Amino acid sequence: MTLAFVGGTHRTVPLALRERLAFSTEQAAEALARFRERFPGREGVLLSTCNRVELYAAAAAGAEPPPPPDQLVSFLAECRGLDAGLLAPVLSGDRDVAVVRHLFSVAAGLDSMVLGEPQIVAQVKQAWTLAQESRTSGPLTGEMFQAALRTAKRVATETALGRERLSIPSVAVADFASGVFERFDDKQILLLGAGKMAAETLRYLRQAGARDVRIVNRTAGRAEALSGRLGATAGRFEDLALELRRADLVVSTTGATEHVVTDALFARVEPLREGRPLVVLDLAVPRDFDPRIGERPGVWLYSIDDLGKACDSNRRRRQRELPAAQAIIDEETERFMGDLHHRSTAPVIERLRAGWNETGEAELERLFRRLPGLDEAARAEIRQAFDRYAAKLLHPPLASLRSESRSGPPHGLLDALKRLFDLKD
Amino acid sequence: MIEFLSGISVVCFAASYGVALACEASRLVFRSGVRGAAMIAFAAAGLVAHTLFLAWRAATAPAIPLSSAFDWYLLAAWLLAGGSLWLTLANPRTPVGLFLLPVVLGLIGAAQVSSRDPFPQSPATQIWGAVHGSFNLAASVAVTLGAVAGIMWLFQAGRLARKEPPLRGFRLPSLERLAHVAGRSLSVAAWTASAGFLSGIVLNAVNRRRGLLETVPWTDPVVLRMGALVAWLVTAAIVARATSRRADGPRTAARLALASFAALTLSILWGLFAPTRHGVPPTAAQATRSVDGEAAP
Repeated sequence: MTLAFVGGTHRTVPLALRERLAFSTEQAAEALARFRERFPGREGVLLSTCNRVELYAAAAAGAEPPPPPDQLVSFLAECRGLDAGLLAPVLSGDRDVAVVRHLFSVAAGLDSMVLGEPQIVAQVKQAWTLAQESRTSGPLTGEMFQAALRTAKRVATETALGRERLSIPSVAVADFASGVFERFDDKQILLLGAGKMAAETLRYLRQAGARDVRIVNRTAGRAEALSGRLGATAGRFEDLALELRRADLVVSTTGATEHVVTDALFARVEPLREGRPLVVLDLAVPRDFDPRIGERPGVWLYSIDDLGKACDSNRRRRQRELPAAQAIIDEETERFMGDLHHRSTAPVIERLRAGWNETGEAELERLFRRLPGLDEAARAEIRQAFDRYAAKLLHPPLASLRSESRSGPPHGLLDALKRLFDLKD
Repeated sequence: MIEFLSGISVVCFAASYGVALACEASRLVFRSGVRGAAMIAFAAAGLVAHTLFLAWRAATAPAIPLSSAFDWYLLAAWLLAGGSLWLTLANPRTPVGLFLLPVVLGLIGAAQVSSRDPFPQSPATQIWGAVHGSFNLAASVAVTLGAVAGIMWLFQAGRLARKEPPLRGFRLPSLERLAHVAGRSLSVAAWTASAGFLSGIVLNAVNRRRGLLETVPWTDPVVLRMGALVAWLVTAAIVARATSRRADGPRTAARLALASFAALTLSILWGLFAPTRHGVPPTAAQATRSVDGEAAP
């Protein structure tokens, strides 16, 4: 065994326990320092995010193996001052190839709460960097995490897993408002109501360049408080018609039980808008805008159900990308494990080569003593011929080793080589 | 080098554009990391071959360079292919080529069935002829770009009205930008087509005054169709302008841009298949009669 991991995610660990198990950056650094003392010569990386805590351990071939999963569970419990018996049922562990496949899936976002979410790549990278700084990362975890980041990049570029947006505010802005408007820095944004979703949508609008934002609420105090927080200007609810006349995009989230903007009200405002298009993101339930307004030319009205359906459609698209992403992960896992197993054959190959070289050198010396008349050029030519001969003889066993490494550690072949060529450890 | 240049044929760049179009169309079917690069490579290769072909035609022309119907269609196709490549490089996620490359291929097809004989030209009318041709070329390009923007607007508006997220690999520009391009293209097309038509009238008047054989009757089908096209384009530009401050103005502009392209296509087809004296070189017998009987200017 060279790789082990133990961890839990939002699927297995209840939130209350996850909160106690989570590591801050400082706590993670302390835990890694403790790992180095507790398991000298072993490599360790701790990944702790809102939705998961995972500890990866590794050891080079021939060295003391990494701690088994139950020891890792105890270690995590100890670091966070928890009872190991509390963690054991909710944390799962794995070894070797399963560890690699799991890490690659995590980095690619396949194991995330929101399938394909991109933030996890940065979190995996941060975990690895922290391990490097804490000197618990080594060649094996280094290569494994590098391969994980490469896999995540492949999944992101070769599939559309992370392309489709899933949150209502992001879909509203990126898929709909941006389909109508080229830019937002010259648009007037009106937040009607002070709901939480409005602030979230405004965040995306700000990212898209929106600057001029007005907030109108029945309770003027709330509008002013929110304006101060969001860097917007408060308007008066009594001036709603005027605000609608000015607005290019409305995000509506009031708690009103009836339409706040009726068709009759909009019919009065519409001629004053001089044909400018209006995007309405009506995120309120019940709806703030009379649906008939959306039938008017130049008005693009989206209710929370419309946006929800678009999110569902995007989610289904992501699901359809899953087999392609899984195939990439399988391919990268196989490649990584093949390289890992092949690398474990290096000492045997090295000894085999050294033995052959030694024998070859002895034979050459004997030959040159018998043929003292040979000049330097002739000697070099003969030496090269010997080297070529040895390389050709070595090629078939090395190729067999590489081929065998793809399906696992080639123990049988290594033993056979050791016995056939009398290679001592 | 000369041998290489003379070996470039219309098929070379038409095939390159065709492959680029196929790459662009495949966006709708599957994802690929190399498709974008392949599409740009084929479009660029086609454009290079197209440029070299036109350069070769210009260098070896017996008369004024690029002065046949064949050359003018290829020149229009070249401008649109260049525009398509530029827009693709500037907006890699927008399938501009899907809309522009079919037009490019259509113009190349029109060139293939057009006359390769140079337009009749005398030193006195060369400048007016060049002005006439250049404005008509600019009008054709503007109408095409407007139509592409118009059809994209209608696609995008349909998608937004149905409240559907964008199709994968088929992210179109915003309605705001498309409406701007469609409206502006209509204006440019109206101005340049009018200038092209007026310069054609001046050209014909000069030919008539000098009694030259290139004179085209005022009732020639080409004159009539160009007049009708100009009238349509001017009307479309005025209507688009007049409705620009109405809520349905962008939709009107998009539809007018598409209708203008249909009018241009009909006009081109009419020009290809209807009998005309426009741009037809005089026969040897006509030329002899003309020289014998030509009155001193």
